Amino acid sequence: MVQLTATPLSALVDEPVHIQITGLSPFQVVTLQASLKDEKENMFYSHAYYRANKVGKVDLEYDSALGGDYVGVHPMGLFWSLKPKKLLTRLLKKDVMNSPFRVQIKLCDLQSPLRNQDTSTSMVSVTLERWYVAPGVTRIPVEEGRLRGALFLPSGEGPFPGVIDLFGGIGGLSEHRSSLLASRGFASLALAYWGYKDLPSQLQKLDLEYFEEASNFLLRHPKVFGQGIGVISTSKGAEIGLSMAIYLKQVTATILINGPNSPYGIPYVYRGYTHQSIPYSLQFLSTNALGFIEFQGIYEKIGVEASQSLFPIEKAHGHFLFIVGEDDKSINSKEHAKKAIEKLRRHGKKNWTLLSYPGAGHLIEPPYSPLCWASKMPNACTPISWGGEVIAHAAAQEHSWKEIQKFLRKHLIPVVTSQL
Amino acid sequence: MFQLTATPPNGLADEPVHIRVTGLPPAQMVTLKASLKDEKGNLFQSKAFYRANEAGEVDLERAPALGGDYVGVHAMGLFWSLKPEKAFRRLLKRDVINNPFKVTLDLYDSVCLQDSTTAQPRASQMVQRWFLGPGVQRKQIREGRVRGALFIPPGEGPFPGIIDLFGSIGGLVEFRASLLATHGFAVLALAYFAYEDLPDKLLELDLEYFEEAANFLLAHPKIQRPGIGVISVSKGAEIGLAMACYLKQVVATVCISGSNAILEIPLRYRDLLVTPMRFDWECIQIHVSGAVRLRSGNRDSRNEMNQQSVLPVEKAQGCILFIVGENDECLNTRAYAEQAMDQLKSHGRSSGKMLVYPGAGHLIEPPYAPLCFASWSPALPRPVLWGGDPVAHAAAQEHSWREIQKFFRQHFSGTGIKYS
Repeated sequence: MVQLTATPLSALVDEPVHIQITGLSPFQVVTLQASLKDEKENMFYSHAYYRANKVGKVDLEYDSALGGDYVGVHPMGLFWSLKPKKLLTRLLKKDVMNSPFRVQIKLCDLQSPLRNQDTSTSMVSVTLERWYVAPGVTRIPVEEGRLRGALFLPSGEGPFPGVIDLFGGIGGLSEHRSSLLASRGFASLALAYWGYKDLPSQLQKLDLEYFEEASNFLLRHPKVFGQGIGVISTSKGAEIGLSMAIYLKQVTATILINGPNSPYGIPYVYRGYTHQSIPYSLQFLSTNALGFIEFQGIYEKIGVEASQSLFPIEKAHGHFLFIVGEDDKSINSKEHAKKAIEKLRRHGKKNWTLLSYPGAGHLIEPPYSPLCWASKMPNACTPISWGGEVIAHAAAQEHSWKEIQKFLRKHLIPVVTSQL
Repeated sequence: MFQLTATPPNGLADEPVHIRVTGLPPAQMVTLKASLKDEKGNLFQSKAFYRANEAGEVDLERAPALGGDYVGVHAMGLFWSLKPEKAFRRLLKRDVINNPFKVTLDLYDSVCLQDSTTAQPRASQMVQRWFLGPGVQRKQIREGRVRGALFIPPGEGPFPGIIDLFGSIGGLVEFRASLLATHGFAVLALAYFAYEDLPDKLLELDLEYFEEAANFLLAHPKIQRPGIGVISVSKGAEIGLAMACYLKQVVATVCISGSNAILEIPLRYRDLLVTPMRFDWECIQIHVSGAVRLRSGNRDSRNEMNQQSVLPVEKAQGCILFIVGENDECLNTRAYAEQAMDQLKSHGRSSGKMLVYPGAGHLIEPPYAPLCFASWSPALPRPVLWGGDPVAHAAAQEHSWREIQKFFRQHFSGTGIKYS
């Protein structure tokens, strides 16, 4: 009798699942297909072909996929290779508290990838719950002063290391990373800064005092360590994260994922001082073979004064973790991190770590998130290419997530020395 | 006063157009945009950003594009970098007689990103791209089983006769035949499935059908005897190679992106049955875009298990020109062509020639046709990956088109060709 098992059936989305099949004929080739419906009813699919061993067993921890959406030994391949049925749709969980993503894993006879995914007949299937929040985590909507966002607190008394979580050009409020961080023991503030509630609908300037307000709000919280907070930030968010690390002494640990090393496009203001930004050089924009836009060329610094280019990163007191996707098509992340680190080195600073991932793209997310290689943004007609090779990107997400947590714990949890 | 000129405004689709802009302020950044609607109303667009020189001019034959859909000096870049508004659509002219493709060129006096016409162009030109030269006649063919369209150049003749075969797209594709006829050849665009009363699906290759077509051509009063040529691409090139091997009527064959073995479905000729080499469906991978990469399921035609499917090229009496794109993601064309060349050599034949184009993909078409990197295929519910790097692919199309005509002319002029 054919059996398909997947354990655990219900887990956090950053936890691996062990998938096994027993009861097949020796060396039988089968198809495993995963499907997921997101909150807007978009379907996502992946599949891979496996050959059973001589006792009719397939174990995804040891066996190699022969083909499909990935090849080789990848126990979580069915998750991170999910692709949208409607092209260019990005998978993003909006409601992180009340419902999981449900992933159905189906075992089918070998079929070509040419069969309609919606109607493939299966021998047996199992449905998994993938949660963005652990039991006991609380979500507190934040509407203090100008601040807009959501604070996620781990279960328990605390205190916990506090982190501000910033996303980029997508705008609005993305909560999925904060809810996961809270599930891992961090007090995480998912902070919106535009395109959300009564915040500006378009970014015209970045007021660092808003982010300082957020830092103080977090530090004041009784369940957060008072010595300093961290920032985890992606893309445009990482540009802001970098400026926070430099100008706000409250920030002692900053994670910068695929961000620029200078202010671009819009000016920064802080306590009456305006830091001019470098205009985007839109003429250097390019497209890939499918016509999707690659923005990486627009960060050229032509005719820019040396004093204007680069944030004065050497002024930051805390620690930096640079996370670079070397296949990022949206920004030349590797080059930006390199220049920022060179500046730190020139000033004799050693407060940085670089994680550079070959084959990873722009959207480095928590583990097992499907690679979003290109998507349609609301304010652009043409899809944008984010880059990334599926397998390498998945490995980068897995590795960096562990490193992110290690880094935050190391620099935010005060070391208690024995009094002996 | 800005002026945008494109010369010639009415020309053949395989002829270059000289685009110039004058009357600009010196060093002004401009955007040149091309757009075209195909016969089904699908929009294709391209753009590039240029900087005017000291004299306020942009001459596409000299000026480098700084960004957009291509970079560098590419006089015809706006044409071959056209991209479909809806991803995975292929640009294909169906009606070659009654109307041309109309390409609208627009000039904007800044770096203009928006696809929609929120900005007004400062100048516009319309360029007509015809697939049929003056005096070329088209005749619908329904003789015996033969279905297609015959293009005859103006004049008395007799002209070298060529059969033109496309691939798994099916139906009747005429635009290459009509262009080739404009260069002095009598070309029969031959359908073999999914057209009129021909079979809907390709289940078998009946070489006698193609022999009938060859004999039909040779019987035509305006067509040279004693032999005909074949120009063929993809699945068509497999058939073209089989024709070269088995039909003495065929004296010059161009195989573009083809296999040297019969694939997927059997070939029949009189009492000969050639069993096909099947794709290894278990190995077929899905590209990050969601398109199917058939090349990952290609089998090795040198493997002794597959020898009964390999075509006996040493039996071909005429000359064969293999056109190979190294970035072909559908077939491992280079390996297949190399084996055919080795086979010829080992039988002391010097009648084969191979042109290998680094960076070119599967769909090598006449010059200035946009690179089709992946598109919907009738056979599959997912797009198929064809591959190709846009700049290299465009160069390959230009070069190979000249070589193809040279090949046919050399052969039919009676000088014959022997490749060493």
